[in-house]
Amino acid sequence: MSLFKWINNVSNNERPRKAWFSFVCLIFIVLIIIPSIFVVLKMFTEWDIVSGVLGDPEKTSLIWGALWNSFSIAAIVTVVDIVIGIPMAWILVRKQFRGKKYLDTLMDMPLVFPTGALGFSVVLFWGAPNGIDIPGLGMVLSPYIMLILLHIIFTYPYMVRSLSAILEQIEPNYETAAMTLSASRFTAVRTITLPLFRAGLVTGTILCFARSLSETGGTYAALLLMNANGIFFTGPTFIKHMKEIQDPTAMGSMILISVLMIVFALILLVVVKLLIMRFKIPIKKVWPHLGRKLSRGAVPKLKDAFSIAFLAIIVLLPTFYIFTYLTQPMADIDFVALMSAIGTSFAVAGVAVVFGIVFGIPIALYIARKRDTKLGKILDNLVNVPLIIPTTALGFSLGLFWSTIYAGGSLNLLMVVLGHMAFTFPLVVRNISGAVEEVDQSYEEVAMTLGAKPFQTFTKVLMPIIQSSVIAGAILAFTRSLGETGATLAIDRSANTVPVYIINLLDAGKHSEAAFCSIILIAICFVFMLVLRLVVSRGGRHT
Amino acid sequence: MKIRLDNISMRFGDFYAIKNISLSIARGEYLTILGPSGCGKTTLIKVISGIWQPTEGKVFVDERDVTDVPIEDRDTGYVFQNIALFPNMTIKENVGYSPRVRNMPEEEIDQIAKDHLELVKMFDRAGMLPSELSGGEQQKVAIARALASGSKMLMLDEPFSALDARVRVELRYEIRRLVKKLGITVLHVTHDQEEAMSVSDRIILMRAGGIQEIGTPLDMYRNPKSIFAAYFIGETNLMECTVLDKTKAGRTVLRLRGGRTVRASKSSFYSGDPVVISVRPENVYTANDGLEAKVIGIVFMGTYWRIRTLAETSDYIDYNISANDEVPQIGDEVRLVFNKKATKVFERPEEGLEEAIKLE
Ligand SMILES: Nc1ncnc2c1ncn2[C@@H]1O[C@H](COP(=O)(O)OP(=O)(O)O)[C@@H](O)[C@H]1O
Ligand SMILES: [Mg+2]
Repeated sequence: MSLFKWINNVSNNERPRKAWFSFVCLIFIVLIIIPSIFVVLKMFTEWDIVSGVLGDPEKTSLIWGALWNSFSIAAIVTVVDIVIGIPMAWILVRKQFRGKKYLDTLMDMPLVFPTGALGFSVVLFWGAPNGIDIPGLGMVLSPYIMLILLHIIFTYPYMVRSLSAILEQIEPNYETAAMTLSASRFTAVRTITLPLFRAGLVTGTILCFARSLSETGGTYAALLLMNANGIFFTGPTFIKHMKEIQDPTAMGSMILISVLMIVFALILLVVVKLLIMRFKIPIKKVWPHLGRKLSRGAVPKLKDAFSIAFLAIIVLLPTFYIFTYLTQPMADIDFVALMSAIGTSFAVAGVAVVFGIVFGIPIALYIARKRDTKLGKILDNLVNVPLIIPTTALGFSLGLFWSTIYAGGSLNLLMVVLGHMAFTFPLVVRNISGAVEEVDQSYEEVAMTLGAKPFQTFTKVLMPIIQSSVIAGAILAFTRSLGETGATLAIDRSANTVPVYIINLLDAGKHSEAAFCSIILIAICFVFMLVLRLVVSRGGRHT
Repeated sequence: MKIRLDNISMRFGDFYAIKNISLSIARGEYLTILGPSGCGKTTLIKVISGIWQPTEGKVFVDERDVTDVPIEDRDTGYVFQNIALFPNMTIKENVGYSPRVRNMPEEEIDQIAKDHLELVKMFDRAGMLPSELSGGEQQKVAIARALASGSKMLMLDEPFSALDARVRVELRYEIRRLVKKLGITVLHVTHDQEEAMSVSDRIILMRAGGIQEIGTPLDMYRNPKSIFAAYFIGETNLMECTVLDKTKAGRTVLRLRGGRTVRASKSSFYSGDPVVISVRPENVYTANDGLEAKVIGIVFMGTYWRIRTLAETSDYIDYNISANDEVPQIGDEVRLVFNKKATKVFERPEEGLEEAIKLE
């Protein structure tokens, strides 16, 4: 209490406030931004080995191939997500039906699964000859198609969540008003709701794209099970592969592909933002008859049915397919090793989230409240950087940075934590700043006029309002950290987190054990989330 | 358009927002709906315009059953309580929205939008976005947008609530003149009694999901059929008393609390009946003789004085005096008499007077 009082008194002066904020910014730059893009600098200092790779057509063609796979898969997946995500967001936000709560929870399930387990499960489901054979054709899915199916699963929730967050804020009366003016529902949505959707579309697109580009664990597991490993690469699996082979030129290849992925991803971020913001849905032309036909009767029903079917068949069934292992005899599980991996994972995720909250809130507040200032704009864009950079490249860059500074090598776990802090940070900040923007500033002003000091105003007025978004951001960051494979591997190949543990089991051909470990982990995560929700909703009721 | 409601109810769960409403509205009639907040006013016009389907009952327009016709084919203008201008379109695009979705040619859309913006004197703002306008201006645009649909039925949900008093008065006569000229049937929800009194052909007074009373403004003011109507529309003094007798002319003679007798208008009550009388402040005068009362409050109402007294009957009785007249002092003793003709007699409600005028 006395500490609280002390902070409260200190917060009344501008100077300590500024000092604290400067410190936060410094931490953000030094601990997160610089290590994330350090590899770009490294490329120039190590130009010799990089140019060596560039001169080798065999290597460059491998790199270009991996990049092409990564970016084209991400693009296809994002487009599919948008098309399928919009009607789903509609169902979740605008429709009232029984069981909606369950649908809502199911939607997030793929986020709880360790990605390695997910890749495993998806290949089991779709992969002939063990899984589903495309009927009659005897066709076996290529790795490319398989990865698209896989990546849709863990990007889809991000898209639906981003879109429904925006949809919730769009006044439903707009559509009703349009309909009293003789517009069909279809026309109303096309001319009013969709154009208002852009912000959500930008967020969703960036999240999906980045998530797909970053994905390592599931992708690796899928390729491994399809025996395509070492033949078919995406950017992240290429880096993982290079880390494993004993090749003197591997360093050059890794630097090159990391830099290329970072640069392309950043360019894409800008282009996507501009494209979506500039692109105008044409609202001048309308087709009253077509609109009415599409708004009534079978079409909307079919659309809803299709969305639900897509969710069930493309997303949920493959996700849960791994549970079929439960019908088989229990594998021998090394519980000590598994529990220690789970412990490590929870510890890493916990530290990353706490860091995100403590240092993320000041930055989020600044972005939300001072968006129009120069620093606000800079921070707003910088925060997106670790989000859009593929985590494997980020981890690789971060590893290079810290090993340049400290060559001891015994601090590997700390470096893994730093890596997880970097890519979870934007998730926390984005969630909080989004929520703060929604809060009318006059609440805080009123509190101040009543004599509250800045820190008190924050804890007593703002915090209770944005609490749920802080928690949502924390959960998102936590699960993201739990599932992360690529960054962990790129920093420390021997790190003992669960996703790495499961990948190693798969690598060793212990499929059954990997499946059972995944199921145990999923169960633990599920219970953890459930307890968290309970605690949160109980806490929420008090305030 | 002629509108007829046949036993309409709207239920949310097991709560009836409106219940068993039957009503006929003539073509071109201007109706206002008055009532305490939460009584179902918005629900009623949403059901009439097809935004909501009633859970029971039928809606007829020109004697055609339209209960199941979807909103977009109802052809009913509607101005929302929260305005709901489309934020991604300019003012002009908003007003031109209805002709556009009916696929009219570009020049015609343009003309209609222009005409209606001029109607509400907002043409100079045509290129702005809704967020750049004040609340009042937005409401004007919302009205223009609804009128631009050319429909012959218009629902207004408290459309003037964000306007300042002078603009509000100007606009309401303007709207009335306009809809009368175009022959539009209007249902106008308001909480402003003066507005309801001055623009409507008939007033619907609602209470707790039902229609309490319907009538012309004058009739409702002069001859309310219930204590609630007398209390809710205008201002009135209510006093509990007992019928003593009838005069030869048929007037009711009553005994107030404390024993003094007064005369009131004709009624069908008999000696001994417990009743309530209602007399509006402007029908209470001071005199040399009459009810003893003590002045306890004096307020200048802008054009007249409102004097509050505590009468010997232990009722509070208010009366008015002209702004030019001498006002009494607080604590002064006055003697009050009522205008007999304007003193209305109601049955004393079983549930008690308080309950009878409760707003829920
Ligand atoms: N969508 C709804 N769901 C449940 N109850 C509603 C809904 N809309 C209105 N109500 C209830 O119906 C009653 C009447 O509401 P409304 O028609 O909006 O009243 P008002 O006369 O103030 O316009 C209120 O008690 C309100 O709580
Ligand atoms: Mg209302």
